Formats: sequence, C-alpha cells, structure tokens
Amino acid sequence: MALSFPNYSSSSPSNLPSPSSFKHHQRTTPSSILSSQNSFRHRFLKWVSIQSAKNQNLNAVCMQEATIAALPSNETLKKLKDRSLPFAPPEECGNVVGFSTGKEECTVSITVVGASGDLAKKKIFPALFALYYEDCLPKHFTIFGYARSKMTDAELRNMVSKTLTCRIDKRENCSEKMNQFLKRCFYHSGQYDSEEHFVELDQKLKEHEAGRITNRLFYLSIPPNIFIDVVKCAGLSASSSNGWTRVIIEKPFGRDSESSAALTRGLKQYLEEDQIFRIDHYLGKELVENISVLRFSNLLFEPLWSRQYIRNMQFIFSEDFGTEGRGGYGIIRDIMQNHLLQILALFAMETPVSLDAEDIRNEKVKVLRSMRPLQLENVVIGQYRSHTKNGVTYAGYVDDKMVPKDSLTPTFAAAALFIDNARWDGVPFLMKAGKALHTRRAEIRVQFRHVPGSLYKKSFGKDLDQATNELVIRVQPDEAIYLKINNKVPGLGMRLDRSDLYLHYAARYSKEIPDAYERLLLDAIQGERRLFIRSDELDAAWKLFTPLLKELEEKKITPELYPFGSRGPVRAHYLAEKYNVQWGDLSTEHVHG
Amino acid sequence: MATCSSSSFISPSSFNNDPTQLPKTLQKGLLLPIRRSNIPLLHIHSNSHLRKQFQSKCSNGYPLNAVHFQDEAEAEAEAKETTISITVVGASGDLAKKKIFPALFALFYEDCLPKHFTVFGYARSKLTDEELRNMISRTLTCRIDKRENCSDKMVQFLQRCFYHSGQYGSEENFLELDRKLKEKEAGRLPNRLFYLSIPPNIFVDAVRCASCCASSATGWTRVIVEKPFGRDSESSGELTRCLKQYLTEDQIFRIDHYLGKELVENLSVLRFSNLVFEPLWSRQYIRNVQLIFSEDFGVEGRGGYFDSYGIIRDIMQNHLLQILALFAMETPVSLDAEDIRNEKVKVLRSMRTLQLDDVVVGQYKGHTKGSKTYPSYTDDPTIPNHSLTATFAAAALFIDNARWDGVPFLMKAGKALHNRRAEIRVQFRHVPGNLYKGKFGMDMDEATNELVIRVQPDEAIYLTINNKIPGLGMRLDRSNLNLLYKARYPREIPDAYERLLLDAMAGERRLFIRSDELDAAWALFTPLLKELEEKKIAPELYPYGSRGPVGEHYLAAKYNIRWGDLTSDDS
Repeated sequence: MALSFPNYSSSSPSNLPSPSSFKHHQRTTPSSILSSQNSFRHRFLKWVSIQSAKNQNLNAVCMQEATIAALPSNETLKKLKDRSLPFAPPEECGNVVGFSTGKEECTVSITVVGASGDLAKKKIFPALFALYYEDCLPKHFTIFGYARSKMTDAELRNMVSKTLTCRIDKRENCSEKMNQFLKRCFYHSGQYDSEEHFVELDQKLKEHEAGRITNRLFYLSIPPNIFIDVVKCAGLSASSSNGWTRVIIEKPFGRDSESSAALTRGLKQYLEEDQIFRIDHYLGKELVENISVLRFSNLLFEPLWSRQYIRNMQFIFSEDFGTEGRGGYGIIRDIMQNHLLQILALFAMETPVSLDAEDIRNEKVKVLRSMRPLQLENVVIGQYRSHTKNGVTYAGYVDDKMVPKDSLTPTFAAAALFIDNARWDGVPFLMKAGKALHTRRAEIRVQFRHVPGSLYKKSFGKDLDQATNELVIRVQPDEAIYLKINNKVPGLGMRLDRSDLYLHYAARYSKEIPDAYERLLLDAIQGERRLFIRSDELDAAWKLFTPLLKELEEKKITPELYPFGSRGPVRAHYLAEKYNVQWGDLSTEHVHG
Repeated sequence: MATCSSSSFISPSSFNNDPTQLPKTLQKGLLLPIRRSNIPLLHIHSNSHLRKQFQSKCSNGYPLNAVHFQDEAEAEAEAKETTISITVVGASGDLAKKKIFPALFALFYEDCLPKHFTVFGYARSKLTDEELRNMISRTLTCRIDKRENCSDKMVQFLQRCFYHSGQYGSEENFLELDRKLKEKEAGRLPNRLFYLSIPPNIFVDAVRCASCCASSATGWTRVIVEKPFGRDSESSGELTRCLKQYLTEDQIFRIDHYLGKELVENLSVLRFSNLVFEPLWSRQYIRNVQLIFSEDFGVEGRGGYFDSYGIIRDIMQNHLLQILALFAMETPVSLDAEDIRNEKVKVLRSMRTLQLDDVVVGQYKGHTKGSKTYPSYTDDPTIPNHSLTATFAAAALFIDNARWDGVPFLMKAGKALHNRRAEIRVQFRHVPGNLYKGKFGMDMDEATNELVIRVQPDEAIYLTINNKIPGLGMRLDRSNLNLLYKARYPREIPDAYERLLLDAMAGERRLFIRSDELDAAWALFTPLLKELEEKKIAPELYPYGSRGPVGEHYLAAKYNIRWGDLTSDDS
C-alpha cells in the first residue's frame, strides 16, 4: 500500500489540502478511499494542532510531529517527519491560525452512535465541547447524535447542554461558546442495524457538509453486540466519499481471545485497520501520556530501567464504590486486561525507533508477546460483601439486583505477571484492581532494589524493604510524580528517613488537566493512533488472560470476600510475599501540601 | 533509643563491654602529647563507641531504628564519672560570641552535653566570670521549636561558664587555667577540649602552652583549630609541623564548618543509601558538577584578614574543595572517619593542579542603585587602595581518575554578588538518541537533567526533569522533583558549629580535615596562587550586587557548559 505524498512547502499558509492534491492521491490508491487521506490528514491536523496550541506560550515547538500517524510507507513518512519535526517558529503558528479562506475547505462530521447513553452524555459531548472551546476543532464541523429514541435536534441540545461545563481556567464567554457549539449539534433517530436509516443520516450529513471535503468520525457508544451491525451500516451507507471515515469503539472488545478475534474479523469486513480506533481511555490520562516522556527524555531514568535496578513494578487501581447495577464483566476484563496491561506495556517496552504510533505499538506488542500467560496461582480474586459503618450499610456485590445471587464474578483481582525478555526476566509486575475499596486511586509504583553493600545498612534497622527507592506516578486523583529517597533527618546524629522528591501537578501547573476523552477524540480526528489499540496488541493481550479467565470459570473459583470500603482481600499480601514484594500503596506516606 | 538521659554518658568502665576495649593505661598514654603512630587504630574503635553514646542522646527525640546501647548504660552506673572541660581560647572574639557559645548552649539545651561539663573562656582581656556570662548571654538563643524553659536552661548553662584571663603564649597563665579546670573537674576523669578562636599566628603558642600545662592527665585532650591553615603549601606544612610538636594527629581537629552543614552531611547519604543515584555517578552520565558560593555583602570594614587571603583561600581551597571531594570520592569501606578521609585524599591527589587558564578572578567595584551607593572593595578603609585581592573567583577543576576523567568541576565563589547562596549542581548529559529531540528546539542544554543540592539558604534538594506539559498536544517542559526541607522538616536545622563541636567531643573525625588532606588541597592551589601574585593578575571588576564578572561565562563556555544558577528554575 505504498502511498506517495504530494510535495508541499512545509509550512506556508497555503498548504491546506486542495482538491487537486486529493485527486492525485486517489489516483495512487484507487482501491481505498479510506486510506488515501493521509496527506490530507497531515495538513489538516497540522492546522488543527496549531489552532489548539495558539493560546499557549509555545516553546517554539508545535505539535506537528504528533500527527505523523500510522502511515504505510516508512520512507515517505521519514521525509515528512524530517520536514515537520524541527520546530516551527511561533510566528508561523500565528500566521496559520488566521488562515481559513481557502476555497475548498474540509469538514469533520462526528456521529455519536448511542447518543442518549451515559458515556455520551457524561464524556463524549463534554469532551467535544471542551475541544471546541479550546479552538481545537476545525472551523467546519458537525456533530450528530444517533440513537433509537425519537428526539428533535432541540431535545438533543437540551440534553447535551446539561452536562457541558467550562474549563476552570477560562470561563469567559462560556455560555456564548456553548450556544455556538449546540448549534452544530443535530440528532438523527434510527435503528442501529438499518442501512436505510444510515442512508438517511448520510443525506443529512451531506447537507451539513455543504460540498466540502468530508471526514467522518463515528463514535460507537453502544453495547458490543451491535458493534458490527453499526459498523456495517455506517461503512456501507454513511462513510465519506472523498475524505476519511474512522470509527471509535469502546471496550469491551470481546471477552476472550476467540470473541475478540471474532469481533476484529467482523470489523475488518467493513473497515481497514487504520480506520479502527479502539479507545482505552487510560492511555489518554495525562500521567500515562507522560510515562514515555519521563523514560525517554530524561537521562536519569533509562539507565535504571531494567532488572538490574528495578525489583518490581506495581500497577494499582482502586475505586471506592461498587458496581451499582453495572457489573457482570468482571474486574479482570474490565480493568486489568486493558488499562493496566496497556500501562505495563508502555512502562516496559524497549525504546521505540520513533514516537510514531506504529513504532510505539510495535514495541508494546513485543512486550505483550514476551509475557507469560497468567497462572492461576499468581492471581488472587475477591468480591466485596456488604458492610455497615456508622449506621450506613453498603450493599455487597451480590445484593445488586442485576447480579445473580451466586455470582462468582471478581470485583477485585491481584496478579503477578512476568516478562520473559532480557530486560525484565524475573521482575514481578504486580497488578491490583478493585471496586468498593477504601480509596479511589490509580498509580504506578516502581520499586528499586536494595543498595548493594549499603554503607548505611545499620541506620535502617531490620526492614531493608523500607529503605529502597521508589518512583511513584499517581495517575489519579491529584496527579503527582514522586521519587522516594533516603535522606538524613536534619539534626545532630545520623538518622535516615525516606523523603520524597515531589512534583505535584496541581501546584506546578495551574491549568486544569484535560479529560482523557478530549485527548483521544482530538487524536482520532487527527489520525494519531499512538493511544489506540491495534488489533495485534489486542490479540496479544487476550492471549495472556484468556487461559486464566477460562480456568477461573471452569473451576468455579470462589472469590475471597472483602467488606465494602476495606483494603481488599488479605490474600493479595500473600501473593506479593510470594515474590518477596510489599505493596507500596499500604505504607503510610506523608501528605504533601 | 531509650537511653536519652544524661547518665548514659560514657565512662571508662563502659569500655569493659566493648570487645575492642582499650586498657586504661594505654588510654592515658594516648592522650598525652606524645606521638604514638600505632595507636590511632585502636583509638578509632573507642571513638566510634563514644560516638554512639552521643547519637543516642542527640537523636532529636525520634525513635532510633534498631540500635541498642542499653547494656553500656547499665554497666556504667557504678563507674567513675567523666567530665569535659571546654576552653574557648579567644573568648572575647567575634566567632566565639556569635557561634561557639551559642552552639554550646544549643547542645546543652538539647541535652547533648555530658552531665558534667565546664566551659572556660580564655583571653587577654580582664573579665570576671560574671562579665563573661553577661557577654555570652546576649548572643544565646533558643531553638525555635522548643522554647520551653529556655531562660532556666540559660541560667543553668551560664553557671557552668567561667573566665580566665591570660596571655596566649604564657605557660604560666595556662598553668593557672589548669588549676582552675582541675577544681571544676573535682576528681572526675577529665577530658579537655580547646577551641582556638584566635589569629593563626598565635595558634602554635597557644597549642604549646595548652599542651604542656593544661592538658588532661588521665582523659583526652583535643584542640579545634579554625581556618586559615596557612596560606600555601609551605606555610600550611609549617603550621602542621609545629602543631605536631605538641599534638598527635588525632588530637588536631581542623574545622571546616561547611562540612557541618546539613546538606553537605546529606551528600553521602544521598549517594550511598539510594540505589537511584550511584549508577549515575560517573563521567558516563554526569556532564559537569558546579559548586557555587555567593554572598550578597562585601568585606564591610573587616577586610584586614580577607585581603591577605582572598576568596580562593577563604572559600575555594577549603569549603568548596572539601565538598567536591565528598561528592566525587569512591565508596569508602565504611563510614568511619579514616575510611572517608582516605577516599577524600585519593580524590584530591587525583586532581590536576589548577591552571591559570582555568581560573577567572574578579573584584567588586562601587555601584549606585537608586539612592544607595555600595562601596567598592578598595574603598573599604581596611583594604589597601591598590589591592589585587580576588573577591570573586571561578575555576574549572579536573579529576584525572577513571570515574571522572574529562568531567569539569566548576567552582565559583564571590562576595558582594546579587544573592547569598551555596549550592551544588550536578548537570547530567544529554539523553543519547533522544526521541524527543524535536521538542526541545535548538537548545539541548536546556533539556538535560540536573540535581541541585541547595546548602543555603532554604535547604532543598531538587531534581530537574523533563515532563510533558499537561494538556492536549505534546509539549515538554522542565519541572522539579522537589524536596524543600522547610516543608518536610519543620524542625530548625542545627548550626554547623553544633554538629562539629559535638563530633569533636565524641571524637568523631569524619568532618574534620586530616593533615594529608590539607596538604593535598594546598598542593592543588599553591602554584596558581603564586602565579596570580607573581604575575600581579588584575581581577576583572564587577559592580557590587551584580552577578559577577562576565569572565565566568567564558570559562564555562570553554568547557561547553552553562552555569546552572542563572536559569530561573528555582522553586
């Protein structure tokens, strides 16, 4: 699928795609309208990124490079990269911002399929609005809600407007902006498997696209059993004829290797790999995005990043509420197999050739494929039971009306995973995820080894485990990065103590951190695939977990019960102990101002 | 630890439990001013033993982790008690008033002094005990974090303070002192500490008299001396020779108060108790190290001493060089003083002597800012008009060993600059094959990691890292992983003199400078100092209150470095 790219001067305002460049394109790849838009994507996205950056003081760097997405040809890619990587002076960004007068403009139509659902209301529409508010959306865009319920445009707007909020750091003109945004929102009612209804949608979209080059993004916010139906209809009846068409899907992506593969096969009947955007919203979290920056842009960390210095890594996720009527899938599939495993792969991967999506995802797949499938003896599962505290009774998992009384579904799981490659041989990667625990948090802990031949051994007392360095990346809440170091307690004598070298995001960065969905939607619009999950990644991930999940179900393994609001099953400690590790989230840490 | 009471202070019998015990007779011999070069090894053991006692007593009320001294505390119950007599020679001087007496009081207040102790002031002026107490009491202060009973404690402390007037070179006067000391010691086992807070030209006289006429007959006698220790290799060698006529090496405690600073003490802890730093501690990862000292005032009418020494001798050759040695040394066999000092000497001896090309000297000139005029160095009444003495110096030093070959160690020290600060900056190398190169623009120097240890003011450790700026897009920025002592440790940090006095009493020599260290230090600087003087190199003038002479930047640029203290990254 070699593509050639039209030459264009790198950054003059006139480099917005023009029809002729598209024609040229289509000639070279007659087979697929869908994959032909790379060059457009670049320019469009350059334009978008510049827009979104315009209000910030740029360090002379624009975001172009992030836009070099999955491109089929490495050579052209390289050329392009060479052109766009060196920074563009800020003035240039300024010039481009003002540009929007080309005759042939492009437009993006974003269709939220399942518009009346919870996710759509709580996350997707607000994220789209935030992008609009930040000037990150292109000039021409249309948002369509699609669902079965009968609604008018006004009713949709009414519904959407209730959940829109403005960023804390710039509230000016918020209601004005909101009105402008809502005017771009429309609704179309239809069945999810009706080609006819999608043809109607197509007609409406065309109306709004008004002859511009059209790019279409479908966000499937619907149950997985109708993914394929919708993709089929959208693919056949509502995809863009001269721009790109992309589909964002949300987990679950199957429930084991087989069902996931079947889903992928189904999707691929109608879509190319690079049209499928599997969202894992954890990859859009600020501190997860920062992992690669920390590792690869600081000299300090990379030399330490191996079995020689790292004793274990921990990936911890906890929620302080139960399933509340939305259980059934199990915590392993819901959190571990996707979110935590994705973060693990980012942490453990080798240095990629570049920051391009394909290079990063290639490295992630390598990590996943080097991993041992999970063993039952390396897993602890739990399920929360009811608990009464101060007169308030919290319901147990099986008390939920939606849950069968004899459900064995885990609401908590801890697991030890291993990567059998040269870098990580023997290093336990511990994961822990649970609902109805005592806190809500997501963090990554890197525990370093003991200092060999430590001169200060005596000063630490018996428990050398308390004396190792630890790097903690707190993803939520209250984003922070800290490195636990040993330090002399100020004063006479020589007593050691752990202190933190601390970076507290709220103190350092006054801006509100954007929601993961904003970043991911913007990336999908820009064709940046770095944070989306490729089919082979997904396969590899399921391969690790499927045997375990089957064994749990076949053997009807009973989860250890733990009280609602507790720290989870005690056996998690025995699992850690088996590998001579201590969970880092249980030590008492001083609170940072 | 449990035994915080003053009764746990060491006594001879407590040595009985120590497998490395020292026979009493040997101990006596050791403490007389006789050279016995084969003894110090044994002596060290007893010192570390004694040191433990102090640690347990002075643990600031925190529980100690798992170290026990109980047995010793019990064993000594019936033993003969010891006493320490601390004689401040030059008691009416500035240092004594500002630093030594307040430090002694702070130690007393913190229960770090033994139960029995006496403080004697010795000087030429005629003073009564009462007048001395009066003088001292004005400068005593209480620690911010516990002011309770402060005035009670002050009164108790002052009751232990006495004065004896005498000439510094008079054996007779020291004999009188000895009699007075004996009276106070009241038959207990006496240990004596002399703090020489006097000009260097009378060091040897005072040491001679103290040693012949006022040293302890049965306990130890130690002498603390303050800089300057000579002004070049020859004079320093001469001073050491003279001191050694009357004292053994292990009786000489050369103080470098920078070594008593909290964050300098912490340097070894950081390096050796954290896995994350030691792998990075070499030429492979460290691009350069900067040791920076600045004061925001000039000589202010007290330039007599300074003018004959200059900033290089006053700050660089001792304070900054000592910190450098601690920073760069190999891992010592243990934390014992001799092991650490052995490693420091090795660093000093591996260093290239300073080259004139690698040094920039400056002198501050007058400057008018607003309505206020700051005088130049040579305007000062205590300074000759044509003085070429450096009030600022910057230098590049090199350690030619396997760990540090080719890594520039930059030093900078100056008076009358725009701020007051002392800090150590470790600048790391670029990330090889940096994936994020495109994000940093042209200036990769801005993108390297840096570890900063701010010794004063406002103690802090921070590590500058590259971080993604939160938000959409991918923009990088430098942020600090920060440890601000004030926020983390609410306690006031003790003055360096407290620590050093306590160590001297405990016989802990880690923070004092051994004769061979001093020799090695002078050997590095003496040729340069002579060349500066012989060639009458004129210092570059810089305005009072400025950032110093521009020459420092050219020096740094020569080694492709940037001074780290000029960026605005401080938190």
